[in-house]
Amino acid sequence: MTGTEPILKVEGISKAFGGLKAVQDFALTLNPGDVQGLIGPNGAGKTTCFNLLTGVYRPDAGRVQLNGAEVTGLRPYLIAGAGMARTFQNIRLFPDLSVLDNVMLGSHLRTRQNMTQAILRTRFHRADERAIERRARRLLELFELDTRAEEEARSLPYGDQRKLEIARALATDPKVLLLDEPAAGMNPQEKGELRGLIDRIRREFSVTVLLIEHDMNVVMKICETITVLDYGVTIAVGPPGRVQSDPKVIEAYLGVPGEAH
Amino acid sequence: MASAGQIEKPGPTLMGSAAIGWLPTIAIILAAVIIQITIRPMLGDFYAKVLLDIGVNIVLAVSLTMVNGFTGQFSMGHAAFMAVGGYTAATVMYYGSFRLFGEASMAGGVLSSMMSDREGPVPYFTRGDLLFLASTLFGGLVAAGCGYLVGLPSLRLRGDYLAIVTLGFGEIVRVLIQALTTDALYDADEIAATPVYQFPKYIGGALGFSGLPFYNSLFWSLGLAGLTILTAYRIKSSTFGRAFLSIREDEIAAEAMGVNTTRYKVRAFVIAAFFAGMAGALFAHTSGVQLNAGELGFLKSFDIIIMVVLGGLGSISGAAFAAIILTILPELLRQPAFLVHGWIVAVPLIAGGIALRMLAARRRADTSIPKLLIGFGVAVALLAIAAAIARSRDIDLGRYRMIFYALALIVIMIARPQGLLSVREIWERGLWRGLGNWVRSLRRETGEARP
Amino acid sequence: MNEPGRPESPGEGADSHETRHGGRPARVFTGPGVPDPGLFSRVAPLLPHLVASARYHLPPVLELFLQTLLNGLAVGSLYALIALGYTMVYGILKFINFAHSDVFVLGAWVSYEVTRIAGWGGPDHPAPWWAGILVLIIAMFTCAIVGFTIERGAYKPLRRAPRLNVLITAIGVSLLLQNLGQLDFIFGTRPQGMPTLLPDRVLAEIGGHPAVVGPDGVVIANEVAPVLVRLVDVVGSATALLLMFVLDRLVFKTKMGRAMRAVSYNPGTAALMGIPVDRIISITFVIGATLAAAAGFLYSQKYSGLNQPAAPVWVLLGLKAFVAAVVGGIGNIRGAMLGGILIGLLEFFGATYIGPELKDVYVFGLLILVLLFRPGGILGSAAVEKV
Repeated sequence: MTGTEPILKVEGISKAFGGLKAVQDFALTLNPGDVQGLIGPNGAGKTTCFNLLTGVYRPDAGRVQLNGAEVTGLRPYLIAGAGMARTFQNIRLFPDLSVLDNVMLGSHLRTRQNMTQAILRTRFHRADERAIERRARRLLELFELDTRAEEEARSLPYGDQRKLEIARALATDPKVLLLDEPAAGMNPQEKGELRGLIDRIRREFSVTVLLIEHDMNVVMKICETITVLDYGVTIAVGPPGRVQSDPKVIEAYLGVPGEAH
Repeated sequence: MASAGQIEKPGPTLMGSAAIGWLPTIAIILAAVIIQITIRPMLGDFYAKVLLDIGVNIVLAVSLTMVNGFTGQFSMGHAAFMAVGGYTAATVMYYGSFRLFGEASMAGGVLSSMMSDREGPVPYFTRGDLLFLASTLFGGLVAAGCGYLVGLPSLRLRGDYLAIVTLGFGEIVRVLIQALTTDALYDADEIAATPVYQFPKYIGGALGFSGLPFYNSLFWSLGLAGLTILTAYRIKSSTFGRAFLSIREDEIAAEAMGVNTTRYKVRAFVIAAFFAGMAGALFAHTSGVQLNAGELGFLKSFDIIIMVVLGGLGSISGAAFAAIILTILPELLRQPAFLVHGWIVAVPLIAGGIALRMLAARRRADTSIPKLLIGFGVAVALLAIAAAIARSRDIDLGRYRMIFYALALIVIMIARPQGLLSVREIWERGLWRGLGNWVRSLRRETGEARP
Repeated sequence: MNEPGRPESPGEGADSHETRHGGRPARVFTGPGVPDPGLFSRVAPLLPHLVASARYHLPPVLELFLQTLLNGLAVGSLYALIALGYTMVYGILKFINFAHSDVFVLGAWVSYEVTRIAGWGGPDHPAPWWAGILVLIIAMFTCAIVGFTIERGAYKPLRRAPRLNVLITAIGVSLLLQNLGQLDFIFGTRPQGMPTLLPDRVLAEIGGHPAVVGPDGVVIANEVAPVLVRLVDVVGSATALLLMFVLDRLVFKTKMGRAMRAVSYNPGTAALMGIPVDRIISITFVIGATLAAAAGFLYSQKYSGLNQPAAPVWVLLGLKAFVAAVVGGIGNIRGAMLGGILIGLLEFFGATYIGPELKDVYVFGLLILVLLFRPGGILGSAAVEKV
């Protein structure tokens, strides 16, 4: 794949729930290595966009292309298999499983073994399990969670749970990583660490990142391009500086015309 | 959950050695053979029968754990798979014996015999045993097919809806067997003249399928129980087990992480039905049992659910343990004179539990293990009190066992919602590692304990 | 049979007649030696006979249909009463209250015990006219208390627990009630016969006719019993309908009903709006239990044989009522009523026209079909999980 070809191309997807048009004509292009932001006031449709991209909802119209392949309306596990992983706004870990098992599950869709091999404990199965675990432990080290690998995921503090979700998503070996409010509930220090982490992830795993974030500090410092949603409609796209001074964006956030600045 | 790390360096756990391919399988079969040959003759018929029931119940409980515990789907029709497997195997066995051996009486070897007084030299393994093995497997396969059919609606339904559908399926199976079939054929000539495809019609109807040969023995029952536990454990500790568990934990997250949730839900049903079907096959050929669909209704399913829940939804060892306890308990309840001595167990348990609990509270360590000890002690003490009352008034406690179970279900769900063992296995939490961790947490200085 | 000029009787009747009499010519209403005038004058006097003949020769279609309909409606209204308890609890707490069917059984058994202690029933001790009302009220009151206790004791501690745990607890409560009921000093383990306390007489006879014997002494049509419309059935169904009407008003027209609906939409928000959520939940349980008790009493009036409390028949009855709630759309009160009637009709029409052995199969088959093709039920809408 050449660097100029977009890794994720979203063309005019829309979704309505009954009479409510949650997302209208949403378009987005992610090039390999991008870190883009998706922002907007509460209820603007950001998470719905993520759900449409990852197959939780089926779009009413529009197309989603991942790495050149059409993934519109596919089941979530297929989209994950095609290389799109995500985290959730309200953390969705596997609370009773250990931290390590949470990350190891992420590798499930890359496994080549079948269930018979697992039941018979063949050599291939054992090698595969070892590889999965090595990979998971490496990820945990990166996220500084390796000391708590054997604990139940539910026992982690909030910030670590967010990090674990990202680690789990990375274990699926994604090309595109969607982060839904990764900094929510973190203290300023953790937020600073998160910024460094996202930067590292992008380089070491060569993933493209799209993130929803409320904390403007985080968004403005990490993202190269920002898309602003309001009432399901894209009202601005561009680099952080330009978006920040866009009168429509200011109006959406503050509810008054541009003179507020 | 045991991770692959333990597999790499074998030895830390008992089951760590399960990694070595066929060895555990062979060991289980050998152990079953040895138990059948050496221990069976030493046991009286009564104890042998209890052990036999334990084996079958372990298979049922552990297989249901794969659905209700691993994937978090709530199946309430497990007995129906047992019925399907049992009737299928019985049909093959009964009519197969007539066609092949000319009669349906027991033609098994030492391994299949529950009788302690067989005359003359008996071979270890006969063609009758072979037929029994084949029909058991066949019963399991047919049940697995039904499991596939029931698993399909689970694609669309979740939680309690699925529970009701599986319950409905169970009832449909029971009614169909009772209403659409008629008495078994007894005449060898008539059986010889009847075409094979008509046999499923003559499987006993509402009165049950009688005349089946009693092949089930400690060899079959404990062997199958061992293999079921092994299979369940190997699934659970593999990437497929994590996939199953992830569905139970959070279906949406599992799907987003690339787990084909529908496929695994159906698979869980199919595997569980396969084992339940084989358990049904063994059950059908047990001495003193009359295969009757009426007894394999939802009450039987409830019995199995109780085992799974008490063991902790998702814990294989917990389910097996609960199966053992709940098989023995009714027999124990009939022995109040013995139960009265429960004090010997209860008093140290409660006293030790309270002492540990105070210690743990002072050190701010986890108090769940002392609580478990106290709870167990209180349960034993209550049983002893009940036994004392029952003995003085000449009451049969066994009649009240369902009240105990029901109370236990409610109390456990309220006091310990994750079941006795949660998803963990005994050796992962309750005894070795858990105890070690806990002791270490006790040693830690005050205030340093983790939240 | 092919005698010229003889009116053909309807096919089915003629066939059955012929088989019954070994192929003897069906000379039914044409006596021997009737002269043969013109066509019209020949047929005209036979017309009444022709109609009668058709009527007698058909199997008792009308009677059978009516009887099935009446039975279906009577039992359906009981299913509906029980289904209401399931659906209300599901609407608010989102779990199947497995113990609900046992509250229904309790209602039936309390009715029996009260009647037994009062000594009513039997030719020597006819029940006074108010006996039914008193028994009904006592049963409803007892079940209300039990329902309240169950909710507070077993379900309230689990308000925040996973739904599966609550379901398992409900199974536990169900088993507990069944087996407590079986204790010797409560209801015991023997089935009992319940006397009829409601006023009973035959209100109307529909259809039916005595055996018809032809001029030559041949039985032409067997006796067909008429469909009896009994007062006890009418009173029973009317009580059920009345209670449902009252409940409907209660839920949709009163302040408490509004609170109940609010809690069922969102307990958290309802609490913020100042609704006493716990009290509303308890009230819901109590109402459900009361309705189940009424159903239990009415059931004991329709079917006098009461099985022992832990008999699987009861669980099956309760399950069918739950199926009714699901088919109608769980959480939907009018859906439960509709579903109950539907299940009752399905069961009886299936039993009459297809075969009684497979009664349960129809009901559970319908459940599976509804859940597969319209998971929200007839009047309900399927909930989508929020991500």
